Amino acid sequence: MASAFGTQVLGTVVLWTLSGTIAVAVAMVLAALSMGRQRVIRLFADALITFTRGVPTSLLVVGAGIGAMARPAPTWLVNVFPGTSPGLTLVAWAVTIALAFGSTGHLAIIFRTGYASLGAARLEQATLLGLTPTRRFALLLRESATATSAPLGARLVHHLHNTAFAALFPVADFFGWIQQRANETFEVSRYAAIGVAVYVVLSLLIWAMFRGLELWLGIPTRRRTRPAGQLGPVIT
Amino acid sequence: MMDLLTDLLIGLPDQRPGGLLLSMLSAIVAAACAVVLGTLYATLCAAVPLPSMVLQAGLALLRGVPLLLLIFALGQATTLPLAATGFVALSLYSLSHVGETLRSYLAAYPKALREQATLLTLSKTREWLMLRVPWTIRHSMDALGTHWISLLKDTGALTVLGIGELTTVARLLSERATTSEWLLILLLAAALYLLAVLTLIRALAAMKTRLAGKGM
Repeated sequence: MASAFGTQVLGTVVLWTLSGTIAVAVAMVLAALSMGRQRVIRLFADALITFTRGVPTSLLVVGAGIGAMARPAPTWLVNVFPGTSPGLTLVAWAVTIALAFGSTGHLAIIFRTGYASLGAARLEQATLLGLTPTRRFALLLRESATATSAPLGARLVHHLHNTAFAALFPVADFFGWIQQRANETFEVSRYAAIGVAVYVVLSLLIWAMFRGLELWLGIPTRRRTRPAGQLGPVIT
Repeated sequence: MMDLLTDLLIGLPDQRPGGLLLSMLSAIVAAACAVVLGTLYATLCAAVPLPSMVLQAGLALLRGVPLLLLIFALGQATTLPLAATGFVALSLYSLSHVGETLRSYLAAYPKALREQATLLTLSKTREWLMLRVPWTIRHSMDALGTHWISLLKDTGALTVLGIGELTTVARLLSERATTSEWLLILLLAAALYLLAVLTLIRALAAMKTRLAGKGM
């Protein structure tokens, strides 16, 4: 049981890492395109962002899973999913991409807001430095991390929770294992408690990772939290 | 085509109300319950900050649990009908987010307004009902709106119990359909979700404009 538990947790970690990485990469591209000069490209990027924000991840996963189930896995496709049978590699990849797509729009908005928070003066400064596009991108990414790191961490915790949708298909993941064990043994409370503990620990690890990133980037700790959208005391 | 759209909108013939109608009903009922309970929770936290720490920790723990796991655990551990289980799970999930939002805004209630209430010799209960709660709801509207949009999409998680909301209907119809039809079914379902979300965004914007027009 211990090895099965480890494999399923690893399955969730792999799903989260792969889909999260794809989501972050595509979100950065979409955020950049949505602020581009060409109107057609801007509209296309905005439409894609709206679509991924408006359609539930559950439906995206269902669509991708059903579509992939009908097709055999190509031989060149690598099976990086622990516990998933090689015949279902295509389904696992389709679910991974659907999970990534489910978070892309939200992440793109986070990146765009972070970029906008830098202000025109700092953006002009970055241009005047005469850096290569790659170095300018790295500089702006680091500068905007003050605004983006906290919501990015929160969204990636939500993304971890979304990986549970993989259980709708025969793709090895931790929630699927919880469901299976609870149904086999009728010990629902026990397995639900294990599930809660593991997801809470994984969520805490993501939170700690982003706090570490904030410290590494030298972002000051937020001492007093003011609710979002509140500029100051409002007397009505 | 019309039959398909009807099934997606109001559910399969033997499981009505379902589809988008059930998704929206679930989200509205859960959101309403969460706002009422969240207001009580926020009030309790503001009144007795230290003793309420246990409750706050419980809610923080609940926020760390995936909605799917919550739905599954409630579905297996309770004898409630499936639809009721879905409502309870969604309400708890929403409460874990809304409660914290309302708590932070209630804690930020300006001192000047408290002093105004004292000058007007308002009782504690009247101040709470007439000033504090409306101020908190108004100022947290942006955060609440974002959560409600997310909640509407999250009703798709009820598919794990087989409750006939929009994702479940789309899934069942797709599994029965031919390869060419499943894409149409899923695209229609996606369009319906998108339409519902865009309508909700518009409604929230209109509500904000209306509140602003009333000087709120």
